[in-house]
Amino acid sequence: MPDMPPALLTPEWIGMIDKGVSAIVASRDAALRPSVMRAVGATIAPDGREITVFLARSQSRQLLQDLAASGQIAVVFSSPTSHRTVQVKAGGVTGRPATADDLPLLQRYLASMEWELCTIGYKAELVHSMLAFRLDDLVAISFQPETAFDQTPGPRAGAALASAPAGTP
Amino acid sequence: MNSRAAALTLCAIRGCMDGAIPAMMATCAIDGTPNVAYLSQVYYVDERHVALSFQFFNKTRANILAHPFGTVLVMHPVTIGFYRLHLRYLRTETSGPLFEGMKAQLAGIASHSGMADVFRLLGSDVYEVTQIDDVPGQRLPEPPARPDMLAGLRLLAERLTRCTATDEALQASMATLAEQFGVRHAMVLMHDAAAQRLYTVASCGYAQSGIGAEIEMGHGVIGVAAQERTPVRISHMTHAASYSHAVRASLQEIEPGVTLHTDIPFPGLAQPRSQMAAPLVAAGRLLGVLFVESPDELRFGFTDEDLLVAMAGQLAATLELLQQQPVGDSAEATATPASASAPVPAPQRQPAGPPLLVRYFNANNSIFIDQNYLIKGVAGAILWKLLREHMHDGRSEFSNRELRLDPAIGLPDVADNLEARLVLLQRRLQETRPGVALEKTGRGRFRLCVERPLKLAEIGA
Repeated sequence: MPDMPPALLTPEWIGMIDKGVSAIVASRDAALRPSVMRAVGATIAPDGREITVFLARSQSRQLLQDLAASGQIAVVFSSPTSHRTVQVKAGGVTGRPATADDLPLLQRYLASMEWELCTIGYKAELVHSMLAFRLDDLVAISFQPETAFDQTPGPRAGAALASAPAGTP
Repeated sequence: MNSRAAALTLCAIRGCMDGAIPAMMATCAIDGTPNVAYLSQVYYVDERHVALSFQFFNKTRANILAHPFGTVLVMHPVTIGFYRLHLRYLRTETSGPLFEGMKAQLAGIASHSGMADVFRLLGSDVYEVTQIDDVPGQRLPEPPARPDMLAGLRLLAERLTRCTATDEALQASMATLAEQFGVRHAMVLMHDAAAQRLYTVASCGYAQSGIGAEIEMGHGVIGVAAQERTPVRISHMTHAASYSHAVRASLQEIEPGVTLHTDIPFPGLAQPRSQMAAPLVAAGRLLGVLFVESPDELRFGFTDEDLLVAMAGQLAATLELLQQQPVGDSAEATATPASASAPVPAPQRQPAGPPLLVRYFNANNSIFIDQNYLIKGVAGAILWKLLREHMHDGRSEFSNRELRLDPAIGLPDVADNLEARLVLLQRRLQETRPGVALEKTGRGRFRLCVERPLKLAEIGA
């Protein structure tokens, strides 16, 4: 690609996703029936051009099938403490089994979520149960966000982020 | 999806739908682009339907209107079990009980999530639940088994059938909540239809009883339950200014230039984590609200709401019955006021000591004894009548009936709960001990006891 488009996500959004906040993943099947599950981990490249979410196969069979078949993905990231929320979408994904190399970032994600949720009054054991996984059950799904929307609760929720995705004049 | 899912009922996972933990909804645009967004509210309608709050014209809503299929991810707040609800959109309701019920719950959710200015219910989107997925995962233990609620309800029913006075019915309800259901903080407020307020007539578990404290209709969990005539339950109130009933202390100008403090502090918990209110309705008329709260999160679930609504129904029916004219008690009707005003054996001590200054402010029927605020409104007007008649002709014995018939008291209509006003007045006198008291002397009868000579002053006549 001769000219990289400007980054879709601002450093502020990248920082929030990098820190580790709630991540909910969706796709759809051929009949456009949606599928959805919470990720147990997420990470973002420093420039914001690639995002990886970790899903448990046992919890996400339909979702993983739909991601493989359609490549269509939507992920909403939300900070429980600030309510700041952003949704990113893409039309193509790559998947691979998670490995031991992923453990440090999964643990970092858990620690951040524990801080976020305990700050608003949830117990740590609740957070640990919610995000519990077996490594051999995890799949890493990576994609390059093509569109992004500010979904922080309020009347302006849903506004597309200013930067245009690749392919837009 | 599997045999486990097939056995799962919506009722069994009602706990996921109490607004404690946000749900997420995936939809799909007709061009095949999925969308996922947080939901403020997934509301249990019945075994086959849920309703989602429609607050904004967003992508989720646009998608659903074009292609009516959604998948919602919910989580149980105690077990942390995930469930997916597969939904098909049916219709949107913008009025009626479902809408009002959701609006009330949303007000609580909005308030406890600091979104009071953001969340506004435009409609209740009703969906058919076509499938429930029981998502595997690590779960925490189910909440411990509860005491038998039906047995507790039976006990309340038995107690209420024995009650012959409003105050007994109120106390029986408070006692049942505490003894059978471990509810340590509860109160009953009655509806003042004319003033559009609720006033506290019974409470338990608070340092100050708060008898006489008032709540505006529509204000807080109690006011919303009354206004919308629907149960309201909030089970998670940590990250917010709580959905407070605290009435801002206000100085009320009773007469031009006469400003006096007439607020009785609301007795509620300073930092409630769980609250629940059920309207007291009998024969289609709002009588008041039965309210419980707890300093613990997630204290009240759907089953507790079932229980509170059942208790409220029984209590309301009893209060309504006790408000009726005593059947066959013709003695009351004929004996007053003639015989009551006749000299009767004085069972009380003769008033002695310096006179009590009783001031009555016409503007709001408020009464101050010496410098202390006692009561206002209809209860104030009642006491003023009693004190005046006592001063005028020495009467001490009175009947409910003559109060009902006295236009000066200004009971809004025959349906007004006079019994509750008398309970309020009697309790306030017991608590403040101003030297004046009311004693019940029989069904529909009571005695005014005055310890000191009276000096009455009517202001703004």
